[in-house]
Amino acid sequence: MKIIAFSDNKAILSQIISRFRDEAEVHAITPDPDFILKYGASKTFGLKGDVLSGPVSKAIEKMYQSGGYDLIAIGSTVTGREVAGLLSAMLSTQAVSEVNSLSFNGGKATTSRFFYGGKSLLTEESVAKIAVVAPGLAEATESSKKSDITELQLEPSSVKIVSRTDKKGGSVDIEKAQVIVSVGRGLGKKENLEKVEPFAKAVHGEIAGSRPVCLDYGWLSEDRQVGLSGKKVQPKLYIALGISGQIQHIAGMRNSKVVIAVNKDKSAPIFEEADYGIVGDLFDVIGKIKDKLAQ
Amino acid sequence: MAYNVIVLIKQIPDIDQMKTNPGTGEPLIQNVPLRMENLSKNAVEAAVRIKEKNGGKVTVLCFGTEKSTSVMKEAYAMGADEGYLITGYAGNYPSVTANALASKIKEIPHDLVILGNQSADSYTGLLPGSLSAILGEPLLGNAIDIKLQEKQVSVVSALEDNNLEIATEMPAVVSVAQEINQPRLPPVLQIMAAGRKPINQVAASNLQVPEVKTISNRAPKSDRKRIVYEDPAKGIEEVSNVIREAIR
Ligand SMILES: Cc1cc2nc3c(=O)[nH]c(=O)nc-3n(C[C@H](O)[C@H](O)[C@H](O)COP(=O)(O)OP(=O)(O)OC[C@H]3O[C@@H](n4cnc5c(N)ncnc54)[C@H](O)[C@@H]3O)c2cc1C
Ligand SMILES: Nc1ncnc2c1ncn2[C@@H]1O[C@H](COP(=O)(O)O)[C@@H](O)[C@H]1O
Repeated sequence: MKIIAFSDNKAILSQIISRFRDEAEVHAITPDPDFILKYGASKTFGLKGDVLSGPVSKAIEKMYQSGGYDLIAIGSTVTGREVAGLLSAMLSTQAVSEVNSLSFNGGKATTSRFFYGGKSLLTEESVAKIAVVAPGLAEATESSKKSDITELQLEPSSVKIVSRTDKKGGSVDIEKAQVIVSVGRGLGKKENLEKVEPFAKAVHGEIAGSRPVCLDYGWLSEDRQVGLSGKKVQPKLYIALGISGQIQHIAGMRNSKVVIAVNKDKSAPIFEEADYGIVGDLFDVIGKIKDKLAQ
Repeated sequence: MAYNVIVLIKQIPDIDQMKTNPGTGEPLIQNVPLRMENLSKNAVEAAVRIKEKNGGKVTVLCFGTEKSTSVMKEAYAMGADEGYLITGYAGNYPSVTANALASKIKEIPHDLVILGNQSADSYTGLLPGSLSAILGEPLLGNAIDIKLQEKQVSVVSALEDNNLEIATEMPAVVSVAQEINQPRLPPVLQIMAAGRKPINQVAASNLQVPEVKTISNRAPKSDRKRIVYEDPAKGIEEVSNVIREAIR
């Protein structure tokens, strides 16, 4: 088998390479070739130029048409999904998105992905030649397999970059946290984080949050967002505070071992996805639990 | 300058109301009310705001079924001027949807095509790229802000690690993120007026549905204990013990 793997996110790309390098020849395309080199792709192509979806899809189209590829695997990022959509039309071939498992059998691909906003897991068999891969397909492990870096110059685009603003991110990796204290809109305002922090400390937890808290309001940095469009976490203990429990949030914390939820609304859906729930004001409840733990 | 904007809206089952079969875990979609997909609403709102500011026209397209007239009316109530319902939708086949919509888009003079970045139900996210390729128009994706100046459109594209301001010449395809705006709730009077507005209905032709076999479609198993304390005083003792045990 021969696979083209592209992602502008090095973590996802290293996972794709790790997943396929033993059963296939993997040709990796990346803006970070030095980092990607250690994951054992058969060939590594370092992108030069602006990594915009238009030019990237043209470069991949050219490589694919040079022949013999069974699959194009693309990491699910904003740019990656655009590239997959473009390529699907350019190559008149099917694409399947957001897969979290992927295997082959006689030219057919078997894929699983969340459907209905995360309410169900859909497993399909198709002739798709393009797969958009969600984070976490496999564990990224380094390999002793060596390859050289080939430069891949991108064509200029009709889309121009005017400016770039970095997002403040921390160095947290909530995907690896053992205990997570996750806050939702029930927090009320950013200043209230000060009331949650001592509790998080008492339970040795990392603070994470729902999408509105991380994106709309920016009370937390985006790398702390849990959910369908955020991080998929699997701590031993997940404590959801003032989170209603919409399916898109559940999709990110479903693999937690024990779930505790605090919400003042007893009909909040989060209680359906919790092992232990307390109906009440989150600040009141965490204060009391903290006191109890200190005893 | 006035702009002609095409907006793409999708109709989906109301996933928040959807239940799963407790025995098999399969989603029960019969009898679930239909509604407008979340990001489609943001797309309509973005287009209507462009019209309100600059003048022009908003045309909505939906690739759906005979049952999709309600989302059209919803878009009218929010301020859309004209709508085409393309019938023949038979499931989540992104390439089929892209081609069905593109053939209609090509018939309508436009400066912008605005759509959601990723549907809230299928979570596919392929349509923006596919349409850009089929129409031969540049794509500005995942916009949280749109600015127009003469024939130039620029957006702030929310990427994972940075916000990228990108610009191009119209006609162009713009996909929007949920954060771009808060879709309006139209007043009753507008909803009633929308109900009387005609909807153009056309059947899609030459649909090439790919071969996809569903192996299973089930809710992931949830073995949660669901012990809920309505009296916090009682819960605190037990939950503190659970936490103590878990973080040991
Ligand atoms: C395509 C798409 C992708 C998405 N991806 C994600 C994602 O990755 N992650 C995500 O989280 N969401 C995601 N969402 C958004 C999701 O649908 C919900 O809007 C979001 O999860 C709601 O966040 P919340 O629970 O914090 O807020 P709300 O739904 O507003 O809930 C707040 C809760 O706090 C409770 N509360 C208020 N005050 C208190 C108090 N003092 N004490 C205790 N409880 C209190 C309320 O009863 C309420 O239940 C996505 C949506 C779409 C359309
Ligand atoms: N059947 C459809 N009819 C009209 N617009 C659609 C349809 N499906 C998807 N869209 C639009 O495309 C966006 C992205 O969808 P998708 O690529 O399917 O995730 C949605 O937010 C809608 O704006």
